[in-house]
Amino acid sequence: MIKLNINGKQVDLDADADTPLLWALRDDAGLTGTKFGCGMGLCGACTVLLDGQVVRSCVLKIGDVGTKAITTIEGLSPDRSHPVQKAWIAENVPQCGYCQSGQILAAVALLKANPKPTDADIDAAMTNICRCGTYNRMRAAIHRVAKGTTS
Amino acid sequence: MNRTSQPTSSPLSRREFLTSALAVGGGLALSFSLPAQEGGPPRPAGPPAAPRSPSAFLQIAANGAITIITPAVEMGQGGHTGMPMIILEELGGDLKQLVVKDAPAEKMYNNPLFGQQSTVGSFSVRGWYTELRRIGAAGREMLVAAAAREWGVSPAECTAANSVITHKPSGRTKTYGSVAALAATMPVPQNPALKDNSEFKVIGTSPPRTDVAPKVDGSAKYGIDMVLPGMLVGAIKAAPTVTGTLKSFDDSAARGMKGFHSTVALPNGVIVLANTYWQAKSALEKVKVDFDPGKLGGIDSAKVSALLHSGFNEQGAVVRNDGDADKALAGAARVVEATYEVPYLAHACMEPMNCTVRANGDTAEVWVGTQSPQAVQAAAAKALGLAQERVTVHMQYLGGGFGRRGESDYAMQAATAAKASGRPVKLIWSREEDIQHDFYRPAAAIRFRGGLDASGKLTAMEARVVTSAAPSFGGPPNAGFYTSSVGDMVYDIPNLKVTGINKDIGLRFGFWRSVNQSHNPFMVEGFLDEIAFATKQDPYLFRRSLLQHEKAKRHLAVLDMLAEKSGWSKRPAGHFYGISAFAAYGSFIGSVVDVSMQDKTIVLNRVVTVIDCGVAVHPDNIVAQLEGGMVYGLTAALRGEITLQDGAVVQSNFHNYPMLMMSQMPKTESYIMPSTAAPGGVGEPGTAPIAPSLASAIFAATASRIRSLPLSKHNVDIIAARA
Ligand code: FES
Ligand code: FES
Repeated sequence: MIKLNINGKQVDLDADADTPLLWALRDDAGLTGTKFGCGMGLCGACTVLLDGQVVRSCVLKIGDVGTKAITTIEGLSPDRSHPVQKAWIAENVPQCGYCQSGQILAAVALLKANPKPTDADIDAAMTNICRCGTYNRMRAAIHRVAKGTTS
Repeated sequence: MNRTSQPTSSPLSRREFLTSALAVGGGLALSFSLPAQEGGPPRPAGPPAAPRSPSAFLQIAANGAITIITPAVEMGQGGHTGMPMIILEELGGDLKQLVVKDAPAEKMYNNPLFGQQSTVGSFSVRGWYTELRRIGAAGREMLVAAAAREWGVSPAECTAANSVITHKPSGRTKTYGSVAALAATMPVPQNPALKDNSEFKVIGTSPPRTDVAPKVDGSAKYGIDMVLPGMLVGAIKAAPTVTGTLKSFDDSAARGMKGFHSTVALPNGVIVLANTYWQAKSALEKVKVDFDPGKLGGIDSAKVSALLHSGFNEQGAVVRNDGDADKALAGAARVVEATYEVPYLAHACMEPMNCTVRANGDTAEVWVGTQSPQAVQAAAAKALGLAQERVTVHMQYLGGGFGRRGESDYAMQAATAAKASGRPVKLIWSREEDIQHDFYRPAAAIRFRGGLDASGKLTAMEARVVTSAAPSFGGPPNAGFYTSSVGDMVYDIPNLKVTGINKDIGLRFGFWRSVNQSHNPFMVEGFLDEIAFATKQDPYLFRRSLLQHEKAKRHLAVLDMLAEKSGWSKRPAGHFYGISAFAAYGSFIGSVVDVSMQDKTIVLNRVVTVIDCGVAVHPDNIVAQLEGGMVYGLTAALRGEITLQDGAVVQSNFHNYPMLMMSQMPKTESYIMPSTAAPGGVGEPGTAPIAPSLASAIFAATASRIRSLPLSKHNVDIIAARA
């Protein structure tokens, strides 16, 4: 049994300590919004927040998480009301959508640390792959949040 | 009012109508049979279109909910928005009452243009446009007739919009939901009047896509998210060569591991089943597997290239022969020659291949994101030993398709494991399996010879197209197919000969976003660019001069719009532009790439894209597709390459098959040509022009001609401009 703090709740998971957080979330905690893309820390589809910082959950073992607060896409807001979610909807960002949970969490972390990011800041912080090529819309959505015009 | 009429259809089936009407519980369901749409591109051999029942597409419930069953799946291209919009336009339905459902695997949903139920080839809107409009229009006429009967007035005195019928003289209104049950008893109009384009209220607007909201909170369900009671999860290891077969395996080291269930042998690999994916993957790593490499054993990329080049010396099938190119080339004042080549490419959908199967005795269910529901149904049925119609396919969102999910190899494997284990199975491929067991965009090459007369006019061209496409479903590809954009070019060249030859290496061929247009325009446009520079002509004006005829009108208009929007004639000092334009998927597409130099680095300032796709159903989504397609093409042009070593694909994950990132994303401008022509394709064309336009811009900037891809092989450094 491993205890994790997921989206504000204490959860006991019956998984080995060397299980990557990604698979513990998906298969053991039933939170499938976090996606598997590469399993090697290369794509960011599995991005979640750990005490507000982005981590690639496919290369983080649950035994190493400790008491840190995990935020997944499901925990961002109960009703798509987070400013980043609203901006994503306003810009019609997602295409296939598969990368978007990770992208949104990366944008949340960026905007928290840097509420008015420049394009260079966005380039440096948004390092997840989007195979559908939604980059310019994500950039526009991030600027939209920064300007406070999310809807 | 100016309405257009459609040809009369076959009569409705009364029995089918009643059955369908019952199915929606007192709401409206329509039934008539529609003929397959004529006048499209020639249909490849395939089953004839089945009669269509409109109730299979449109149902209105008493509470007003408008359920539209879309024959196009949603993989990010907008199928769940564009298709319903076309019905809603003619129905006069309120977008807010729309409920979208995926069509089940059934012949009724075969695309009228090519006779298969597949979301491929940018065929959805162009294939379904007229039929969906007729379905919507018939629904509207039945609802109006029902309201008119209740009021005791003539239907001609009524109008319908936003899901409300209005009796104009009295101002009385009724909602669609309130008359849906009565409407279901009305005769189905076999020849419903369609709106004139000028009356469109939905088509040409950009409402929020129906799939966007669930994609920002993690609630969108993809195939990989499926969970069933008692389900096992499978991890797979297939032979390193895609032609390989399983010789033997030893799973003794895996057997005691936590969660391990069993190992399933496949003809070409093994699947380890366990309670969770991580357990399955961990156990799989302990299984020793021995493979026979099959036909690809010993093949490497150098051999592939040599084989392609050997094709230049063979006859090949003649697909175009205008005038006498041999003679004209022999007598030309000057001959320009060039050889172009591109490598294999993998699709790399963001969601790795996966499929969930539950066998229930004499029936089975499949949960999957697929572009081809019937192909999945057939594959699972075969593996389970069931008749195809005993298998139900539950469609999920696709985490990318790009042609890869038109195949159903993973469904066959999941069904095999479900049968062997007697449990529901979700099979998930690793990224490594995904990249190394794809159906690949073939490596291809073209050798061109262009003949110029004494005045420098291009009088002759010969193009020898060589591809490396192994037979896939539907048999070996024919020369007319893989020479598209070469054999059917509309440039005015009096003596033109195009031949095609397929040197099948054995690596399986796949439809990769924009298919043949992912390489042929790069080569044709590149060679034309060479001719323009060889004869000291402006690349835009040179192309223009070859497009002065009726058949090239739309092509030329796109080229001109590109020049106008990009400011071609007013290029700022230090900016170098490249241009290309051509026909693709029933549309006309082109781009201008604007670069400048920073020491030896090429700075990508912007990409200007123009499409003429006929009627633009959802302009904002078209722009998104143009941008997304461009990224797909640019990713390949910069660093995309699948190579073979001893028959096996060398690349395995995103470290050696890299994707374009945010920091490399150029500024984009996209323009849609205003048009009332029938819709063309949108999802694929956007991928094609970036490579030729970029290569043309690089030449303008550096005088170095890029004749093969990816650019990483040419030591070209490219960065995206940032303000
Ligand atoms: S799945 Fe974790 S980075 Fe790709
Ligand atoms: S939206 Fe498809 S991968 Fe990003």
